[in-house]
Amino acid sequence: MFNRNSQPMAHNEHETIIAQGVKVEGDFDSKGSVSIDGEVTGSVRTAQALRVGEAARIHADVSAQTAVIAGEVRGNLRVADRLELLETANIQGDIEAQVFSVAPGARVNGRVNMGGTATVDTGEAE
Amino acid sequence: MYCYVYDEFVSDRRFEKELARIENRLVDLGIAGKVIRLALFRNAEEMIRDEIERGASTVVAVGNDETVRKILDVVADSGVVFGLIPLGTPNNFAKLIGVPDGAASCDTLSARIVETVDIGTINGRRFITGVSVPAFKADLTVEDRYRIFATGKGSLEILNLSGADPCDGKLETVIRVGVRRGVWPFARKHVGESVLPLSAMAIRSETPFAVYADGMEMTGTRFDIGVEPHRFRLITGKQRQFNA
Repeated sequence: MFNRNSQPMAHNEHETIIAQGVKVEGDFDSKGSVSIDGEVTGSVRTAQALRVGEAARIHADVSAQTAVIAGEVRGNLRVADRLELLETANIQGDIEAQVFSVAPGARVNGRVNMGGTATVDTGEAE
Repeated sequence: MYCYVYDEFVSDRRFEKELARIENRLVDLGIAGKVIRLALFRNAEEMIRDEIERGASTVVAVGNDETVRKILDVVADSGVVFGLIPLGTPNNFAKLIGVPDGAASCDTLSARIVETVDIGTINGRRFITGVSVPAFKADLTVEDRYRIFATGKGSLEILNLSGADPCDGKLETVIRVGVRRGVWPFARKHVGESVLPLSAMAIRSETPFAVYADGMEMTGTRFDIGVEPHRFRLITGKQRQFNA
């Protein structure tokens, strides 16, 4: 009874981590921040920060308060505040964000809408 | 008023001296109370419920992890404070809540640091520490909205008291899966650890599988797991291994 090998884990309170080796299917939503390194299909919604790791594969519409993306997202991205695409990011879908930063090497195929007014059609950005 | 529930095995001769020390210390501290002895063919829950009706406000288990499991339901239902005097083995729960072994635990009881923690349920049965599924091949469905599964060999742990915040109304769900990183021949094995704070979930599989709730084995094809927030009041020591 009461597994003595259980070890306390170090992570932020109410942070959801979807690591490599795990697949999520359906409408995933969270009130806390979310970190994804695994696979997700369906939709992803968080009221706080989203981090998508290099190994992550997301086939879903995504909405978050802020987002930092290094992996693959096939679906529309809706970020209320700041969106940051890192070098390895690959986005196949439309983007909506207030503040948007793209690192050299990131790929975006879709429409970009910033601040609810500006709409920029992009091909492949380097 | 205190009510002490002695497990059957504590009447064994090897515990005679320690039990006498405990009883003397309880008298010294002014917290002695009614003693109930568990035995085969005796309904523990009924005896404890009777004592609670007579005014017992603190129920203290004298024994090991198994003793805690025997009286968990009745204590949680009644809302009285739970205490523990660890005697015998295994007593991992006592370590988690920071209660020392034997007579030293009487001082912890007397200091009376009471915390109110969540309690988990699995198919209607309560658990306090957590649930583990060592060979996790099943689906985890969360409130019928999404399902989670491991793409390789993995294990699942659903934690309440151990390694999690037991007062947040959530169960920390940890899925560990072995994955390879890098390109052969340089690929290295690595364990991916997913963590999801959840309040309700179901584990389903087409073939029966085993889960361990507070160490007790249960086998089936579906387990519905939930949490009862702020349900269990217990006396803890300063050395407890969780933050309340």
